[in-house]
Amino acid sequence: MGDGTRLAASPDKPGSAVSDERWERVKQLLHQAMQLTPEQRVRFLDEACPGDDPCRAEIDSLLIADAEARSSFLKPASSGGPADVDDAGCSHALAPGDLFEHRFQLIGALGEGGMGQVWLANQIAPVRRQVAIKLVKAGMYDESVVQRFRSERQSLAMMDHPAIAKVFEAGATSQGQPYFVMEYVPGLPITKYCDQQRLDIPARLELFIQACEGVQHAHQKAIVHRDLKPANILVVDLDGKPVPRIIDFGLAKATAPKLITESEFTRLGQFVGTPGYMSPEQADPYARDIDTRTDVYSLGIVLYVLLTGYQPFDVKMGQRPPLDVLLRKLREEDPPSPSTKAGTDPDSSVAAAAARGAEPHQLTQLLRGDLDSIAMKALERDRAKRYGTPSELAADLRRYLNEEPVTARPAGAVYRLRKYARRHRIAVGIASGLIVMLTAFTALQGLELRRTTQERDRANQERDRANRERDRATRITDFMTGMFKVSDPSEARGNRVTAREILDKASNETGTGLARDAEVQAQMLHVMASTYLNLGIYTRAHELSQRALDARARLHGPKDPYTLESMSQLGWILDREGHHADAEKVERQALEGDRQALGPEAAPTLETMDHLAVIQIDEGHYQDAENLARQAMQGAARTLGPQGSLTLLSTNHFAVALVSQARYAEAEREFRKLLEIDQRVLGPDHPQTLAVMINLATTAASQRHVAEGERLYREVLSAQRRVLGPEHQYTLLTMENLAALLIDSGRLADGEKLHRQVLEIRLKTLGAEHPDTLSSKANLADALLKEGDVREADKLQRETLAVQQRVLGPEDRDTLASRSTLASILIHERRYDEAAKIASDTLDIQLRTLGLGHPDTVYSLRLLGMAMAYTHRYAEATPLFRNAIDSLQNVADQGNRWSVWYAFACVAAAAGRFDDALGDLREAVDRGFRDADGLLADDDLKALRHDARFLELVGTLKGASQQGT
Amino acid sequence: MTDDQSGVVSQLLGHWSKGDEKALAELLPLVYDELRRVARSHLQRERPDHTLQSTALVHEAYLRLLGSQPPELRNRPHFIAVASRLIRQILVDYARERRAAKRDGGCRVPVEYLDALPVSSDEDLLALDDALNDLYRTDARQAKIVDMKFFGGLTSPEVSEVLGLSRATVDREWATARAWLHRQISRAQP
Repeated sequence: MGDGTRLAASPDKPGSAVSDERWERVKQLLHQAMQLTPEQRVRFLDEACPGDDPCRAEIDSLLIADAEARSSFLKPASSGGPADVDDAGCSHALAPGDLFEHRFQLIGALGEGGMGQVWLANQIAPVRRQVAIKLVKAGMYDESVVQRFRSERQSLAMMDHPAIAKVFEAGATSQGQPYFVMEYVPGLPITKYCDQQRLDIPARLELFIQACEGVQHAHQKAIVHRDLKPANILVVDLDGKPVPRIIDFGLAKATAPKLITESEFTRLGQFVGTPGYMSPEQADPYARDIDTRTDVYSLGIVLYVLLTGYQPFDVKMGQRPPLDVLLRKLREEDPPSPSTKAGTDPDSSVAAAAARGAEPHQLTQLLRGDLDSIAMKALERDRAKRYGTPSELAADLRRYLNEEPVTARPAGAVYRLRKYARRHRIAVGIASGLIVMLTAFTALQGLELRRTTQERDRANQERDRANRERDRATRITDFMTGMFKVSDPSEARGNRVTAREILDKASNETGTGLARDAEVQAQMLHVMASTYLNLGIYTRAHELSQRALDARARLHGPKDPYTLESMSQLGWILDREGHHADAEKVERQALEGDRQALGPEAAPTLETMDHLAVIQIDEGHYQDAENLARQAMQGAARTLGPQGSLTLLSTNHFAVALVSQARYAEAEREFRKLLEIDQRVLGPDHPQTLAVMINLATTAASQRHVAEGERLYREVLSAQRRVLGPEHQYTLLTMENLAALLIDSGRLADGEKLHRQVLEIRLKTLGAEHPDTLSSKANLADALLKEGDVREADKLQRETLAVQQRVLGPEDRDTLASRSTLASILIHERRYDEAAKIASDTLDIQLRTLGLGHPDTVYSLRLLGMAMAYTHRYAEATPLFRNAIDSLQNVADQGNRWSVWYAFACVAAAAGRFDDALGDLREAVDRGFRDADGLLADDDLKALRHDARFLELVGTLKGASQQGT
Repeated sequence: MTDDQSGVVSQLLGHWSKGDEKALAELLPLVYDELRRVARSHLQRERPDHTLQSTALVHEAYLRLLGSQPPELRNRPHFIAVASRLIRQILVDYARERRAAKRDGGCRVPVEYLDALPVSSDEDLLALDDALNDLYRTDARQAKIVDMKFFGGLTSPEVSEVLGLSRATVDREWATARAWLHRQISRAQP
């Protein structure tokens, strides 16, 4: 502190003129004076501290200041609280018999909460009826609260639904205290009602569905309840039929666009929301806003309690963990599924089941499956994954009651996909150098685990013949696997607490000190690593997988199927973490071992092969990837059938490898075949189906089948918006791909708009430093560059780069790609020397980390060459390219054999060496380059466009491609 | 925060609440670091809709520092007492930075974090800070109470527990301090 810029100090600064003694005296007198009425005060002071006493002036001025300060100065955000006597002298104490607001005769207090009290009253005028009045506590409101009440009055009065208790009035007293007058509902909380009446699950659901519909009605009026809980969902008997009535939309907020500051949520113990029913975003003081999905969450909790009798984070029935722990759990952990929870506490589970008209094991059975899925979907921490509206929740419950398939089930796998989708960058046409995301599914959680279980079974069958000791371990693993419920993807959520609890329980129950058995421990480690892998927590997964591998290698030897299984898993994790070279080493070792121990067509072998194929794609070894993926695909088709999960996955990878080599026509054929199967087997809205559709669209786009590509993208996009939501990362991915397509086909403004939309959403949901956000920014920069807004593009790109360097590191692929983009922008700005420097630095690193064959490297090389060409250093650039071409001769597999020649051609064109340029282009064509339209569109070759030979070449290529060669 | 560290913090808090002033000295840097980290992560987000309360910051720092161990709620008011002074410092630092940035023709749109404090601008916060520092020289106890209640969000009973004063004394001191500050600030305005 203390930079010297202080505000003007007051002339008679205390501390210098007033001694401590004097201050003490002033204070004492002041304190006494403050407790007196104004007239008494004057008398007292005149006596104790007459006018000529120097203290008097001080006291007087402080008294004045006090009067001014009382009403509005320094009201802490946490003002009010039952224990705080704040300034307002009035206490607003009400008592039965009082007449409130001239027309309500108070009968008695119905209850008291954190923010307010509820009174039962008889309304006298203009109509006579019994009402409930909710008042905000004195000291809990300020001007802003009052204003909010006023603005909501209209909307609240407009609600008219059988499941909502009518709000008659909302207003404020003459002292400014806000109140609501509501229909008095003499009912029981829904949970109590259902327990008392011993309603079975379907009957409970019927009531609950009605409640959902009520909430939905409110949402349509833009009112979010924000405090839904059983105590606010009362059930009354109407002509013998039970009907829910939701009360207390008390401090419900209109969901206006303005975002909300929550001074109501201020400190521990003072909430508007009720802790057990709070949604994760309400528990987060920094959440941007509360929206209708918050209510969905609270409804989910009510559903949960109706189904099981517990709140999700209760330790024992009715026993909530301490508040800070609860808040943290809400934000960070997933609760156990209802069927799991129902069986937790043997003492109360009998009672709970009886209240639902069943035995404990029957209840668990009933809950398992669809009801679990529905409840968990309503309780998703991430709002985007929840049911969007209460009516969706109700609809799924209806489907369950009608024994129709529910949407929650398959959708369960969708939400894991984000963690597993491989996003693969491919340049759409070397000309544009744009980064387009291609989704290549490498694993779906459920599929991966299912396969692993199957494979483990198969491996075990072979081994058990040899060794009966391991039989026991296998049974135990199956038992434990069963406890993890890994067979059902939507249930294998795994969270640290549950996993440990289950493991502890498992070891207690078998009573043989399970954890001490080294083999079993290794298996436990492996399974836990899988769980973390599925959750996307790679560091933990890595640690556990490594330990499992070490232990198994020690116990079973390096060639044992168990060891190999862990090895394959570790390789996978390494790849996830970006350590591609290491991943390849490990996975190759695993593959070798699998081949020897299990044979070339055993399922684990094929799976390892598939893993390795993906790793190869990441490293840019597309031809190797293609071969591996093809082997895996064909092997899987033979042994698991054409619709087996591994078959479908490896086919996708195979096609991706083809696209990466620009063999678009072949890839397109594969994708189309795959899409047809996926649509049939998995359904048109299944995430894998959508992913394949995206890949197909991208392939079409790469061939400049613009209309087809656009159509496909838009189709996928609308499905994704519907199934995943408009802010889901996959939806955004598709939008970005579509934007790239639009830009490439000349619709720059539309493409820019779309990029901006994506960027905005990513900024909002991922933050400014997330790699995806940065990549969006880079894409936008690129789009701006094309539109000619070079300065803006430069600025954006530099911003992006700065963050990437800091967050990802200077050698990360994304960072390097951004540097290349910046270099290309600089070339546009004719800042060739700067561009050359950047391109050269980037190239050095890329040569080291990615190798020469990688498209990113070639791109940097091209930029460097062009910068040199523009500064008349073509002669210097030539040897660079010749060297590169020579080195590549010896490399077995490179991305695109023609790419370096193509780059060379661009450089030559830039230097005005048209003969050279054409020669280089022909070399490229000889090596497989076919993109005639790309040639015309590539700005780097624009100098050639008036050259007849160039046009002839384009014509030849076009003709060749039309003939299908 | 590792488990070891939260253990240390918890211990130090315990010692300090029993009157060991040295523990406070050890505690301060830990708390300060955490508060800064928490504040920075919130204050630097470029989201224009972002709002912040010092009490929430302190709350979060508390949870982070005491981590996975169930925090003794007894220690909480003591923690907040320590943190509230620090959080004021941090917020003031940010306010100064932003004021300086505005003068330079600044780069970013400032985050409107002060909305949630009923101090509506950087200027007000800085004025309050000046006045509060003056108050520390006149009556340190009163100034502490202001820090705890206003920046830390402690209730009067909690303040009285931390400082070992009666409820009535706390309320009186608070009222007086408030009047004093109000006067101080009004005089300081040109």
